[in-house]
Amino acid sequence: MGGVPQAAGAAGTTVPSVLLKLEGVSKEFPGVKALSGVSFDLRAGEVHAVCGENGAGKSTLMKIISGVYQPNSGSITFKGETVQFASTLQSEAAGIAIIHQELNLVPHLTVAENIYLAREPRHGFLVDRKKLIADARRCLARLGVDIDPNVQVRTLSVAQCQMVEIAKALSLDATVLIMDEPTSSLTEQEAQLLFKVIRDLKAQGTGIIYISHRLDEMAEIVDRVTVLRDGRYISTDDFEDLTVDDIVARMVGRSLEDKFPEPTRKPGEEVIFSATGLTRRGVFTDIGFDIRRGEILGFAGLMGAGRTEVARAIFGADALDAGTVTLDGNELKISDPRSAIEAGIAYLSEDRKAQGLAIKMPVDANLVMARMAAVASRFGVIDRKRHREAGQRYVDLLNIRTPSLSQPVRLLSGGNQQKIIIGKWLFREPRIMFFDEPTRGIDVGAKFAIYQIMDELAARGIGIVLISSELPEVLGMSDRIAVFHGGRITATLTTRDTNQEEIMHYASGSGRRGDKE
Amino acid sequence: MADMTSEKPVEQPVPKPTGQGRRLSDRQKDIIQKFAALGSLVVLAAVFSATSSAFMTVGNGMTIALQVTSIALLGIGATYVIITGGIDLSVGSVLALAGVVAALAVKELQLPISIAMLLGILTGALCGLINGLMVTQLKLPPFIATLGMMLIARGVALQITGARAVSGLGEAFGELGNGSLFRIESIDEQGFPVVTFPGIPYPVVLMIVIGLIAAFVLNRTVLGRYIYAIGSNADAARLSGVNVSRVTAFTYVVSGALAGLTGCVLMSRLVTAQPNEGVAYELDAIASAVIGGTSLIGGVGTISGTIIGAFVIGILRNGLNMNGVSAFTQQIIIGLVILVTVWIDQLRNRR
Repeated sequence: MGGVPQAAGAAGTTVPSVLLKLEGVSKEFPGVKALSGVSFDLRAGEVHAVCGENGAGKSTLMKIISGVYQPNSGSITFKGETVQFASTLQSEAAGIAIIHQELNLVPHLTVAENIYLAREPRHGFLVDRKKLIADARRCLARLGVDIDPNVQVRTLSVAQCQMVEIAKALSLDATVLIMDEPTSSLTEQEAQLLFKVIRDLKAQGTGIIYISHRLDEMAEIVDRVTVLRDGRYISTDDFEDLTVDDIVARMVGRSLEDKFPEPTRKPGEEVIFSATGLTRRGVFTDIGFDIRRGEILGFAGLMGAGRTEVARAIFGADALDAGTVTLDGNELKISDPRSAIEAGIAYLSEDRKAQGLAIKMPVDANLVMARMAAVASRFGVIDRKRHREAGQRYVDLLNIRTPSLSQPVRLLSGGNQQKIIIGKWLFREPRIMFFDEPTRGIDVGAKFAIYQIMDELAARGIGIVLISSELPEVLGMSDRIAVFHGGRITATLTTRDTNQEEIMHYASGSGRRGDKE
Repeated sequence: MADMTSEKPVEQPVPKPTGQGRRLSDRQKDIIQKFAALGSLVVLAAVFSATSSAFMTVGNGMTIALQVTSIALLGIGATYVIITGGIDLSVGSVLALAGVVAALAVKELQLPISIAMLLGILTGALCGLINGLMVTQLKLPPFIATLGMMLIARGVALQITGARAVSGLGEAFGELGNGSLFRIESIDEQGFPVVTFPGIPYPVVLMIVIGLIAAFVLNRTVLGRYIYAIGSNADAARLSGVNVSRVTAFTYVVSGALAGLTGCVLMSRLVTAQPNEGVAYELDAIASAVIGGTSLIGGVGTISGTIIGAFVIGILRNGLNMNGVSAFTQQIIIGLVILVTVWIDQLRNRR
């Protein structure tokens, strides 16, 4: 890897052919310089990663390349010609395809119909279905994936949908493919399949721009890395010349000694919360675990292993078929989220926008949402002063960066949104908090802040459960780790006595190496 | 604003793409939107006063206010429902049913008028409750649930009256719709009444009082906050411990009860209960909310906007009438106004 890529467009030369070149590109929005003087080039047959914290300008850069925005200055050269894309239609026609983090497929159309949407092969006025399906099959075969072109997209997994998106891009004869966080919702195996497809595309001469927060997985496929910070170009290097820590240091503009804060919590022996025999038919079976005072308990496992489902059921969002939960020795009766909250349980959902925040509403309204009674009179009239003070207290406490308390939360960054959700639950003063993928899609600096908050909460005696698909995060932050596989806990491990391999062993369900507790 | 944080978001010079291209805060946009609606109201009034001398008079002002009340009352209910992301198509029929129930209670059961009208309002509230339960318990889409109620309520109103108007209700039945507060009247030497001040019609008083209460509930109470939260993100509201079903159903009850009240007011004005009254009023109600900036997606809307929207529709109708514009042309113009207002709203929110 990292050698001279095949020069698809420039046979006979050893110089890698440059597909796309941006020079001195700047983009200003009224009052904000989103990009200033960014240069970037993409060679045929390479995977070029673009890294940066949220707000560093990655999205803006991609939108300029795909024609959503037009730069204020600078030039774009595509296949040797200077271009100015006025819309995504033009960039697509030229052969630049973008695969968004949120997939853009029509759920009720078939795979083939989605691939050729608005470009269906025709017999006069009618769609030539035979050709449509044959063409779609060819595209999918080129990716080496086994998806029936006749099934509706809504029946596919996220990973399969992504393959359909890639097939769609290929059908457009795209020579440049932009992938925005393609693995964020994939399981390990699915990600491996994606990487295989990416390697095949590379071999065919496609240039791929790859955006991801998961630096650890880049080693699998990435050739070069460009780092952006605060809208400015920082560096471009061959991936093999850098360590992950180098990249992170460039992204944040300082070196990060540690990705995780020094723990201040002191886990005790006293059990404050325990679950026994939790079962939800067809989802998880006989789940049991304890949370001790001052500890962070990690839930490790692959996607779909039942971790989120267990947390949701304890929180009353889904029904339990069997099992009991006790808090401070008292058995809890939980029928819905309201009774769980009443009992002192908080659940920070993995899907911030869909389940955690009212994104059109202001910062302070979201912060007090779970405990309105504390900022209102007995008759339900909101006390504006207390409301504002409560909002301000958590904005200060969690260092939430917002221009004002009345800012709608949709305008804040992912890290600040996550802090608002944490603030919302802290205001409720819970005893137990479930953090479900708390750092997904959040930049490095904000991650550290969230880890610190979790540690402080644990130190204050709040029981914390961390659900994470990133093993380094679980290892870095938990005191003990419950490993899930297929809806069961296959092992409960002490963090300092275990390692990534052992966890993966239990998470993949490949046998039980003597029952370890 | 006193609640500015000292810390500016230095770390993020690039706002999230959703906010790009616009430098106005949502609050500013909100104010602009409100002034835009209010401005068009002033322009309308100016144009109509120029074209018709009878337009800008106290008497006509009262006429408009009176005409606007029914749209505004229904619009307030519609605003509540629409903020949660729902819709109520049944209010036109429900007001007819409520009106005839009140009238029949007076005529057939000889109940006192106040009790009869209370019964009418309760009938409306009951229809609203049924709507709410269909939406929250049977999980029917609001459009379908209230469409069904629209047909059923109208059918029941026609059934119990035999499709005939209920008249002979006595003068007292007309008091709510025709009376007014602070009316100053004297009898001159020939014995004719002289009206010094026509007074504020009771329906207008009702509209003002209910508008203020509705706005207070929406802006200043926990209940109002939950209504917005449900429209903004029902899942997040539920996971924050909000009783989403109960609050959602409540908005339909409000809409139904206000439809019931509107029915009583309208029937009282005519001193006759018409089972065919109020056809297509739900569309005026929804239009007033939408003109006033309420978003059909939910999560956004204000009572003041809706009242302005109701006045825009009312002034248009009245002014066009005074200028002798035919009823058909009026429909075309009002249709265009709705389209243009919503289009402007879309432009405002485009990114």
